[in-house]
Parts: sequence; C-alpha cells; structure tokens
Amino acid sequence: MAQARFDMPAQVRAGEVFKLRLLVQHPMETGYLLDLNNRRIARNVINDLRCTYLGQEVFRIEPSSGLSANPYVEFFLRATQTGEITIDWVDDRGERGQVKRTLTVV
Amino acid sequence: MTTPPAALRRDWLRASLGATAWAAGRATFARVLGGALGLGSLPTAQAQGMLSGKLLSLSEMLDPIVAGAPVVRAGVHIETLILADNGLSVPFRVWVDSPMTAQDHVTHIWLLSQRNPVMVMAKIHVGPQMGRAELSTRLRLAGGQQLVALARLSSGQFRYELADLIVTEAGCVDGS
Amino acid sequence: MTHLDPSSTGLARRDFLKVSATAAAGMSLGFFWPTHGNAAETPKLNAWIEIQTDDTVIIRYARTEMGQGSRTSAPMLVADELEADWKKVRIEYATAHENLRTKRAYGDMATVGSRTIRNSQEYLRKAGATAREMLIAAAAAQWGVPASECTAALGKVSHAASKRSLSYGKLAAAAAKLEAPKEVKLKDPKDWKIIGKSLPRVDIPDIVTGKIRYGIDAQVPGMMYAAVAASPVFNGKVKSLDASKVENRRGIVKVLNMGEFVAVVANNWWRAKEALREVAIDWETGDNGQLTSAVIMNSFKAGMGQAELAVARNDGNTVQALGTAAKVLEAEYFTPYLAHATMEPMVCTAWLQGDKLDVWTSTQNPENTLAVAAATAGVAQDKVTVHPMQLGGGLGRKSPQDFTRQGVMIAKAMAGTPVKMVWSREEDMQHDLYRPASLVRFKGGMDNDGKVQALHIRVSAPSILATLLRLPLPKGVDGQAVASFNDHPYDIPNSLVDYAQRNTNVPVGFWRTVGHSQNPYMRECFIDEMALAAGKDPLAFRLANLGQKSPRDVAILQAVAKAADWGGPLPKGVFRGIAETEGYGSYTACVCEVSVSDKGDVKIHRVVIGIDPGYAVNPDNIEAQLQGSVVHGLSAIFWGEMTIKDGRIEQSNFHDYRMMRLNEMPVVKAVIAPTGGFWGGVGEPAQAPLAPALCNAIAAASGKRIRSLPLKNHGMSLKA
Repeated sequence: MAQARFDMPAQVRAGEVFKLRLLVQHPMETGYLLDLNNRRIARNVINDLRCTYLGQEVFRIEPSSGLSANPYVEFFLRATQTGEITIDWVDDRGERGQVKRTLTVV
Repeated sequence: MTTPPAALRRDWLRASLGATAWAAGRATFARVLGGALGLGSLPTAQAQGMLSGKLLSLSEMLDPIVAGAPVVRAGVHIETLILADNGLSVPFRVWVDSPMTAQDHVTHIWLLSQRNPVMVMAKIHVGPQMGRAELSTRLRLAGGQQLVALARLSSGQFRYELADLIVTEAGCVDGS
Repeated sequence: MTHLDPSSTGLARRDFLKVSATAAAGMSLGFFWPTHGNAAETPKLNAWIEIQTDDTVIIRYARTEMGQGSRTSAPMLVADELEADWKKVRIEYATAHENLRTKRAYGDMATVGSRTIRNSQEYLRKAGATAREMLIAAAAAQWGVPASECTAALGKVSHAASKRSLSYGKLAAAAAKLEAPKEVKLKDPKDWKIIGKSLPRVDIPDIVTGKIRYGIDAQVPGMMYAAVAASPVFNGKVKSLDASKVENRRGIVKVLNMGEFVAVVANNWWRAKEALREVAIDWETGDNGQLTSAVIMNSFKAGMGQAELAVARNDGNTVQALGTAAKVLEAEYFTPYLAHATMEPMVCTAWLQGDKLDVWTSTQNPENTLAVAAATAGVAQDKVTVHPMQLGGGLGRKSPQDFTRQGVMIAKAMAGTPVKMVWSREEDMQHDLYRPASLVRFKGGMDNDGKVQALHIRVSAPSILATLLRLPLPKGVDGQAVASFNDHPYDIPNSLVDYAQRNTNVPVGFWRTVGHSQNPYMRECFIDEMALAAGKDPLAFRLANLGQKSPRDVAILQAVAKAADWGGPLPKGVFRGIAETEGYGSYTACVCEVSVSDKGDVKIHRVVIGIDPGYAVNPDNIEAQLQGSVVHGLSAIFWGEMTIKDGRIEQSNFHDYRMMRLNEMPVVKAVIAPTGGFWGGVGEPAQAPLAPALCNAIAAASGKRIRSLPLKNHGMSLKA
C-alpha cells in the first residue's frame, strides 16, 4: 500500500469549511519514458481518488499523467457532524491506497 | 532516463505539506483574476517543428467538454507560477466564485493543458458539501503553455480562466 | 559596496553618480545600468525605448550576447522603425527580474535556436514604430499641425511646410504621456535605413580592450571561490570523502559534500582547485563504470534492428518502392559525441543574503537562471537578481542551468558570503551535455534516369528532449534526432524516416546547430553517393531531385554554385564538393575546394558558404557568423570526438580535443543571398552544409567516401 501523508484539523465547529491536504507517494509514470535498457516504462498513474464523509462521496479527482509524481491534493469540506473521513485511490495497475481519520465536530 | 524509485522516495520524504518552495514562491505567483488579463486566444509559445507537441487552440481545449453549452471567461481564478524552472512539478491553485449551495454550486472542474500529450490533466467532481470550489495540486507540464481551468456550474453553464506559464528549462525548444 | 537596485527611482542623480564611482572600483555594475537616476529625465516610451533629454536613445536588449552579434542586430530593428540616429543609440540589457516584475513585457529571453531576430523582429519593430508615431504626434501637437504633415528621421521630427524640427530628446517627455497607437504600419524592407547595414558590433571595442565583463569576470567584495568536482562516471554520487589533508590548509574555507558533487571553497580559486585534487572522493557509480564507446555502438546497432520504431515521416510506400527500384544504394553513417568547449568554462557567482539572492553567471537564458536559482535557494523568484553578463561562448551549453544549481547550492551553504564557482577546463570537458552520437542507415532507390524514387532513413540515437528536458515525444519522435531527414526538401515520392531512441548514460544536450550539426552531413553525403551511382554531376542531380517544391533550396544552391564557379576549371589536383540544407528557417549551401595528398593531408583551398536568411539585418555580422561556422565546424570535422572508457569521458583538455589553429584557416567566401518574405536564423544554420561539402570534395579528390567523423580517424589531417 502506497504511503501517504494526510493533514486535516482534528476538531472543527459545525458548519465550518476546513482544509484537507494529501500527499501520496506514487511515481505517476507517464508511459513516455524509457528505462535504462531503452524499453518503455509502462504508464501507471493514480487515475481515481475519492473522499467519503459520513458514508457519502464528497470529493473526487480523476488525474491523468498531467499531475506530478508524488501527487499533492488540497481541497475543502464543510463540517456537519462527527464522523469518519476516508480517502481512497486506485492506480492503473489496480493498486489501492487509503487514509482514514475521524473528524470531530463540535 | 527515469528517476530511480529511491530518488522519488527521498523527494517525497523531504516534501512537507507546507513545502517551503511553495510558500516561498507564493509572492511571485501570477494571481489571475477572472477576465482581467486579456491574454487572448493566441498561443504564446509558437510550435516549431520539433516541439514537444502541437499547441491546442482555446476552442480545441474547451469544445470537447463544453459541447455547445454557454461558456464565459469569468468567476474562475488561477494562482500559479509565471516561470517554472522545469515542468515536472508546478504548483497550481484554482477556485471558483460560487455560493456552493444545493441550488447553486460548482459540479466539475477540469484542468486542461494546451500542450501535454493528455489534454485533461485532471477532472474534479465538486459538490456543495465541499463548501468551497477550490483545489490545489501540482501539475506535470510538457513545456511552456497556456493552462485552462474550466468549471461547470449546477445551472449547466461553464466558466473558465486561463494562465500562461513558461517552463524555462524547455526554453531551448519552446518558441517565444 | 551598496547593492544597487536599478528599479529604485528615488535615488538622486548625484548620489547615484557618487555610488557608481565607488562601484567602478569593484564590479563595473554601472556598465550595465542606466546612468540616469531620475525617471522623469528619461521618459519611457515603451518597455524597449527610453529617450534622454540629450537625445540619447536607450534601447533594451532582452536576450544575451555570446559573440553572435544579436545585441547589435536586435536593437537595429527597433532603431530603424524608430527613425533613430544610430550614433545616439545606447543599448542596455532588460533583466530577468524586470521581465518577471512586468509580467514578461520583454517576452522570451532564451538565446537559443538561432531565433532572437526571427522571433522578436515583429514586436521589436512595432515597438520602434509605435514610439516613432508618439514622437511625431507630440511634435504635431506642439506645433498645432496635422501629424500627417510631419516626418521623422535621424532622431528628429520635422514639419517641412513650416521648416520646424524638434529632436527626440525635446519631445520624449510629451510623447511618453500620449497613448500608444493600437495599430502601426511597419516599413517596407526597401525603406529600411539601418536594417541591412553592416554596422559595427557595439561590444567589439570593449572586447578588444579587455573592458568587457564576462560571467567569469564577476567581482563581488568579500567573495570566496569554489572549485567543484562531479562524478567522472556520469550520474554518480558521493559515497564518502576524506578532506583531512586539505581542510586546515591556508586559505581553505570549507569542503562541501553536495551529494552529486564536491566543492572546495577557498580565498582564491587556485587554492580551491589544488586542494580539490587532494580530496579523496569515493563515488557510488553503480554499473555505469562499465560503459564504453564500444558498448554504446552496440546499443545503437541494436536500435537499428529493434522492432518498435517511431515513424517521423512516411510518404507513399517506401519499402515497396525500394523493392522495385532500378538502382538501390545502402550506406551507414556515424557521428560521435562532441563537447561544446566554450572558451569560458561554466561559472556562477552567487550571494544569498537572507531571502535575497544575487547571481552573476554566463547564461543563454536569464529566466531559466532566475527560476532555477530561486528553486535551488528556496527563495521567492521576485527576490532573485540575475545580473546580465557577456558570455565567453555559449554554443548551446549555457542554456541548461546545472552550473547555476551548483553555484547556488554552494552560496546557500555559505549563506551571507558571495562565492564564485568556476569549473576547470577538465571539469568542463568531462561534464558537458554532449552533442549526441548518432548511427544512421540510408537506403535509396533510383530509376534509370537518376531520379530518386524512394528513400528510407533510420536513425538510432539518444533523445535530448526525452532525457535532458524530460519531455514526452510526440509519436516517440525526437525532432532533433531526425532533423533534415523528416523535413528533407527533395521531391521523392516515397520517404520513410524512422527512429530508435537509444539513450545512454552519457548526458546529451544542445550543441550549436543541434540535429543539423550531423544529419545534413550524412544526408548530403548520401545524396552525393546516389548522384555518383547514377553517373550524374552532384549539382545537376540535386537540382533534378529538388524539383519545383523547394524553390529556396534551389536558389541558395545555385547562388553558391555560381559564386564557386561550379563546373569551371580548377588547378590540377583540386576538387570540389557541394551540399545544401535548410535549418532554423534559413537555407544554406556550401562548396569546398580541396586537394588531398597520398598521406591524407587535406588542403582546403577555399570554402564558399552561403545563406538565405530571408532578410539580412547586419550583413557584416552574417559574414562573421559564416566564417565562425567554418572555424567551429572544421574543428569538429577534423578532430572532434568524445570517447568513453570505464564509464567516463577520456578527453580532458585541448591537447586531446583539438581546435583549429589560425594558420589552418582556409579562405572563406561568404554568399549572403536573402530572398525576402521570411525571417530565418543565422547563428547556427551555416554550419550545416560544411561537413558534407568538405567530405564530398574529399571523396572527389581521393576516391575515399567518408561515412563517419572525425576525419582524423580516416588518417586525414588539415594542412595549413
């Protein structure tokens, strides 16, 4: 499972819009480069990343090779009630990753 | 020559979420306010024969997605570099003016490249639960080009903004 | 010394002059900075033009000067439309930080691709014309007459009817307040007064007297010096180092392990360089120490036979046409890696003071320097000042900023102290971004009349774009690797050009004339091979096969052939060779006259070399470029070769990478034949037809077909 760094406030007030930041370790191979033996390195990028909050999908990004290696994403959510925030992603090879954290809403 | 996995991991470990380069570079970002820059539809990087790809026109970038719906250059904002030393990791921030209510919100944002082999760099699904139609990420660019952020509103209308970005390293092949 | 900020207008003129006098004792910053301190005295008509009350016209030059003369030619474009008096023109640099501040009012600053004139001519001429119209309007307003009755010439606006005139210096302030006209009509070339004249280059007096400041001449009080060594086996990293022998030596300030390189910082460069030799460095090089020239050749040969190829051109059905052609010819050509070997090695002086960075370096792309320096130092781009310097040769080496990265890393480690980093000649020779070696196979099919029906060209070579610039290649084709093949001008119904990308651990980059530095040599030699096989005269063969589709190629070929009296009588033992090619938007051709002794001494009696650049802005400068191309080209043709052993470059200095000598220079006849209607480059294209013209002449003289360079490998030498 790919390593990731995920940052979001531990606690927010109800109705507050807060920032989430995610940095995923992934080469995001474009498929255009050759390896040291002059053979093409197959394309492999994270092609789908979704954020779920309180069981609902609240954010989704479908990257292509146009996002840099070790993709970084920063987005916002409006807090309603305490619950789990999960971010799942999958790459062209089908390998999955996930971060999960509880958001406390006061 | 590909970056060996060890080097990528090193870079990843070194990159903090509040990356200094990002923060330090903020002062020189081009804050492109909707409609204010009058960049026009002419590509500023003229394609020479051996360039890294054909330069798309604005309509070639928008038409496939907009498909005839009304599109206006307003209400979308881009913050990115004017000069990037190389195209591998270019910080990019986009936000769309919107109340983000159930009745009136942004549904999608597309990040479009004028020159990359794949035009759609990312398609973002947006909804009122986000509270803000805003995203920051890092792009990979095949040379200097115009970037377009295209947003779709719940009304079905499209809005966009564009930003000119120079990748200085690719100056050998990019036109002026 | 105070740090002078050119954008501060608050500095009183007297204070400025006082400061600049002390500055002269150190770095002659004043040379590049306006000597006016008060903006109101020198109104800016637009980003490019400022006019002083004494009628001095300051024209900005936004690119770099490395001997190609654009610092004179580009301002000529402005001055002509402006109707300036050239004697009153002073040229000053537009800087990268100023370009950033004004959101790129000066446009592209990259001095590459022979494109300074052709890419900037329109907006430069427009800038001149716009300012001229504003000056005329200001005079007309002052006189109360229609602008249409006024004319501008030699720095003055005149109203013939009332016999009044005002010089630009008197009008500038008023003109600067006017709104610039949206549309301006540019002059017809026949009305040019400055463009087309052989004006002396503005920097030559300072070059000759030694006043000129190259990047290597940067002097900052309190400066330290750094000598550097990167891994001799490319892409190696420092595993461990032992500096105990030199750390405490007199003058040695610091030994820095930067991972990719080691730097010794000292109070003079000699000490730094000598100490560096005694730092024991253990490099981690992986398998790369196994690389040799033979291994590389095998890789290229494997590429020739590989299944996956990128197709750069595919007209008709070449394979089929070759199968049915009356006469088929096949040949393989090879050109080696070449070093730039600019007279001035890589240098970078950098000074990090808090969050502010100053950089002095010889660069072909000041914006690239700025962006790389900011990213390396971790400072904001608007806090970086890149000071313009003259380059002691660029040749394409000084556009990538690997040396700037090093210099700024050192400055960051020595924060607060300015450090001048200079590469030794050996370091420069062995850490170049080399002109890629290239293996090319030709197969041509002709009918019985000597008309080429099919041409298949396969290239097996590294990709500069994919490795140095990490750009995706459209359809897998690197345009540089197939340049002059995929866009050849011959009227051949079946053309196939394919490409096998074969990268090696040898770093590659843009050498002067890039893909056109090797491909036209191969192409035009093979064209000659086909001509001879068909029993045709090489010129007649080319004209027959160029057909109607390439009139400009035909025109320059005929112009040069005529100038060389092709077909006319020659002394006994003297033979001619011819070649033609296009490149960088221009059309070039060359005829060489040689005799070859039995021992392989090649005497070049004459080189006739010509170019059609559309318009000739400064003919004397073009002639200089043609002559310079011959010098640069002949050095490479006779001796240029980088060989690899144990993963490293074998050559290290000019004893094993020979340059031409003064007494070996042949007579060069320059043919400048602009046909108008387009703008082509001059800095690089002229080198392209030289090698094939020479090798074709050698083949005629000796019967020896030269299919690889350099000539020394064929036992040939240049006779003085």
